[in-house]
Amino acid sequence: MSFRRFGHKTIKGKGEELLADTITVNINGVDMKTTGNQTVLQLLSDSSIEVPNVCYHPSLGPIETCDTCIVRVNDELVRSCSTELKDGDVIDTVAKEVKDAQVIGMDRILYNHELYCTVCDYNNGSCEVHNTVKEMKINHQSIPFEQKPDPVDNSHPFYRYDPDQCILCGRCVEACQDVQVTETLTIDWERKRPRVIWDNDVPINESSCVSCGHCSTVCPCNAMMEKGMEGEAGYMTGINKETLRPMIEITKNVETGYGSILAISDMESAMRDERIKKTKTVCTYCGVGCSFDVWTKGREILKVDPQVEAPANGISTCVKGKFGWDFVNSEERLTKPLIREGDAFREAEWDEALDLITRKFNEIKEKNGPDAFSFISSSKCTNEESYLMQKLARGVIGTNNLDNCSRYCQTPATMGLFRTVGHGGDAGSIKDIEMSELVIVVGSNTSESHPVLSTRVKRSHKLNGQKLIVADLRKHEMAERSDLFIQPRPGTDIVWLSAVTRYIIDQGWADEGFIKNKVNKYEEYKESLEQYTMDYAAEITGIAKEDLIKTAEMIHEANSVVTLWAMGVTQHLGGSDTSTAISNLLLATGNYGRPGTGAYPLRGHNNVQGASDFGSMPDRMPGYEKITDEKVRKKYEKAWGVPLPEHPGLNNHEMVAGIHEGTVKAMYLKGEEMGIVDSNINYVHEAYEKLDFFVVQDIFLSRTAEFADVVLPASPSLEKDGTFTNTERRFQRLYKVMEPLGDSKPDWQIIMAIANRLGAGWAYEHPGEIMEEAAQLTELFAGVNYERLEGYKSLQWPVAEDGTDTPLLFTDGFPFPDGKAQFWPVKWTEPVQYEEEYDIHVNNGRLLEHFHEGNMTYKSEGISEKTPRTFLEISPELAAERGIKDGTLVRLSSPYGNVKVQCLITDRVSGKEVYLPMNDSGDAAINLLTSSYSDKDTDTPAYKETKAKMEILKGEGINPLPKINHRYGNPQPQIGVQVQKKWDRDDYIFPGDLVKKERKQHG
Amino acid sequence: MAKAIKKIHKLELTEEEKKKKDLEEVEDALVKNKEAILESLEVINHMHERGITSLLNGMFGQGDKVLDIMVKAADKPENTNTIKNLLLMLGTLGMINVKQLEPILLKVDAGIANMSKEPDTDEKTGYFDLVRSLKDPEINRAITLILSFLKGMGQETTPMQKNTDGPPPNQTQRKDDSLP
Repeated sequence: MSFRRFGHKTIKGKGEELLADTITVNINGVDMKTTGNQTVLQLLSDSSIEVPNVCYHPSLGPIETCDTCIVRVNDELVRSCSTELKDGDVIDTVAKEVKDAQVIGMDRILYNHELYCTVCDYNNGSCEVHNTVKEMKINHQSIPFEQKPDPVDNSHPFYRYDPDQCILCGRCVEACQDVQVTETLTIDWERKRPRVIWDNDVPINESSCVSCGHCSTVCPCNAMMEKGMEGEAGYMTGINKETLRPMIEITKNVETGYGSILAISDMESAMRDERIKKTKTVCTYCGVGCSFDVWTKGREILKVDPQVEAPANGISTCVKGKFGWDFVNSEERLTKPLIREGDAFREAEWDEALDLITRKFNEIKEKNGPDAFSFISSSKCTNEESYLMQKLARGVIGTNNLDNCSRYCQTPATMGLFRTVGHGGDAGSIKDIEMSELVIVVGSNTSESHPVLSTRVKRSHKLNGQKLIVADLRKHEMAERSDLFIQPRPGTDIVWLSAVTRYIIDQGWADEGFIKNKVNKYEEYKESLEQYTMDYAAEITGIAKEDLIKTAEMIHEANSVVTLWAMGVTQHLGGSDTSTAISNLLLATGNYGRPGTGAYPLRGHNNVQGASDFGSMPDRMPGYEKITDEKVRKKYEKAWGVPLPEHPGLNNHEMVAGIHEGTVKAMYLKGEEMGIVDSNINYVHEAYEKLDFFVVQDIFLSRTAEFADVVLPASPSLEKDGTFTNTERRFQRLYKVMEPLGDSKPDWQIIMAIANRLGAGWAYEHPGEIMEEAAQLTELFAGVNYERLEGYKSLQWPVAEDGTDTPLLFTDGFPFPDGKAQFWPVKWTEPVQYEEEYDIHVNNGRLLEHFHEGNMTYKSEGISEKTPRTFLEISPELAAERGIKDGTLVRLSSPYGNVKVQCLITDRVSGKEVYLPMNDSGDAAINLLTSSYSDKDTDTPAYKETKAKMEILKGEGINPLPKINHRYGNPQPQIGVQVQKKWDRDDYIFPGDLVKKERKQHG
Repeated sequence: MAKAIKKIHKLELTEEEKKKKDLEEVEDALVKNKEAILESLEVINHMHERGITSLLNGMFGQGDKVLDIMVKAADKPENTNTIKNLLLMLGTLGMINVKQLEPILLKVDAGIANMSKEPDTDEKTGYFDLVRSLKDPEINRAITLILSFLKGMGQETTPMQKNTDGPPPNQTQRKDDSLP
């Protein structure tokens, strides 16, 4: 497969950029020096010589459909977007034949697009058709617009397609095929009037479309448009359909040339800026850290508009980030503090709620001491809020009983990295994953849990020859796409990882030079691998020996390897050890510290990384400095002016145990649905009932909040300022899109109000001041401040005081005293054993379209319409054996509880393994089944070691997954838009040829 | 023992409290925007005196209907033609360079003045009189002027044309080479 461009860059092996040579070209009679390795259009755009272009998009590269960017290069008329620059090229952009050819291209576009800009919702200054007509000073349409045979497709809840407005530029197809790589869209070039089609020509809503929104984001006009914009964006676009049509006709009939019409629409467009606000924010649906502009009119969200310069995602989003924000305006939002009174809550004013909290906190502190308190910080909240939470716990109450939800997911990964390489974060950036030669995905359903990050892998795999190995129980999308898919028995990843490492060392394929210079404890580690022969691994994991050898060979053959992992690795008794084994393998093969290499534990929530970075941990201060280190404590004691508790506190898991034991009396929990997402929730709920005083801070009355004595109404990300740190260790700012709803408040203000009532005397007026304080105290992000993070600017820690950041870690060694990493020998821990009657292995995790228990995403009508509830994936074999159909209601019972859920038969799972997505807070909540067993090193619950028995409750039922869900779709993979098919049409002549022909005839 | 509860007693404001809160909000807004509000009141008063407020009231009250009628009326061929002619005229007027026109207008004016001196003359001008009068510098200058005007009028102007009815001949394109 040929190497293709991505944006302006070509991917080259180990990630080095070829040094471009200086060349000389002549543009319109003027000689200039420039670099090779670029297209004529790139050079012209950078030299601010205007050449029209419509289909070209910096994130998609040349598509070659619009024919408006034609210029003359060495006497040939060519498309400047796809013509590589060569030394000595003579370029003409102003000759009459050049202009004539460009006009032909534009005329053909206008034949496909009705211009009614003033009453068009897309008239917001960025319409490429509008702007190009204006720029080319086109006053006439030589070939009048002609309506197309197909009506508007309005079937999808989030966007619509209007063939009459579609200029067939193919940007949407390019994005769907080769950026998002869902491969739903194509253009049917065969029909008389070509159009975009979904799958094999079905309505949008019945296709494989995953609603990621790429198509509407890149559409240059109003053909593919977000429904939130319809009738809302313009001053005159909300008019009745019957009136709008004659209005469009008038506009067209009275036009004396486009010039005057465009002037009026430009005025209208400028007026829109008065009432449409565009604010940059950062998504909160996973750890990828997508940032984008949100367009709002009052509290109404018109659309989410990703920007090319967004560092983590560029133009990419998934369905949740692009369309899943309805919850901010939900009527179920809490708008007043709630106080428990008898068997109900009553709304109260802030003063009363805060008074009550102050009184109770003081009473408990006096009676039981500071360690009777427990604090749970949120991985959905900002860095600044995490910092304040730990400052409140340590500096005001005086306890280290403080944790955040990474305890439920990625703490084992952090542990594995601390042991081996010293930094608990991703080794590089998403760019490194994109450019790597081999990606190994272990226990991660990447395309559903980290959708935008997965698109980078899917693209590189499809276009750039990147290899992909997937190790998972379940045949999810990444597994389907992989070059090698291995299915280890649950909880045995560490065995195959160690065996493959041993095999590599035995074959002499280890990077001995790297190990010698950069890694300690090699001999000790080699000894620990003694047991891990290929035969042993095959026996324990169930993976065929030849597949294990193939894995080792693929790693050996690749010049750069990255490993991505997630909950399939960490949520086990030996989660930290397996994470360590991954890092050991990368060290042994020298895959650290170079572009395209490294370990990437994929962070699950938007700020899992930041919540821990900023000290919401029982044993670490911000920047992972140890609380037991006296020097560290002294630093903070001096800054805060209070003594700090010196012993590490309780983690989440221990807090629950502490409540049961009666040592923990009070809990202050913010933004965490612990009552659903902790394992063995029956046990957790019993603990809540035993608390003397429980304060929960959330945007909804969550299941957890139902147990609270006081519930405080918080504001979600769209209603506040702050920063998040994504999985790449990247700081990004979010700006307040709208005011807090009702009397709700940003979490940092609430924490400060409580602290100040307890006598803290904090006076932060803006989160920027909190960051300033934290950065002063923390070496890891000493150079972070709000100015350096303005707009789409970002920083990846460690950040030096002068603002130098570190996109790629370990290029100058590892953060250990001698600068060397270390191998860390680990052993396999057998998974939790169950009685024989529990014969079904219950795998669990995320779905693309819902977020956790779903109290945000179920508020979206569109998402709920396509995925209304959770379901149990059952293999065809198991279904046949037990007589189960789609829709059969079953009960799963484990020793800890039971769930009731409807079945869906699919070959994504096999044998007696079932998959239960976690998107339910009622009878089907997975954590009714899970146990309190946890990772032996970090107490992360062993969610993935769950077994149950199954009984049928009701044989017949409605299929829980409606037929309009994308999983039933029928994708049509191809590369790009296949412009060659357009050029092959009998009625197509390249405008350049047409101009030349005409010149011959006339001249 | 704090059992899970879901019931919320909303903080219901009484009618009286709600009214008071609303009034406070309005009062604040009034004070904050005193100048603008007082001035607006004056404007409204003037409009009221001239009956504009009741006119607007009728229009906005039946907004969709009125707009529909307006749009449909405007969409009739004779009306679109009017609007179009207006736009064309405006455009053309905008193109005339008054600086160039001024001396010509002065000359036309002088011509008219001269003409009005002898409004209804019985004098006849013969062919030879005409040739002879070319020698008259004033007449010669006038003829030269008219000839150069005619030359300008005969120039190719289609590229400057704003009207789009019927594409200009040199830009007509064959349908078949331009479909997608």
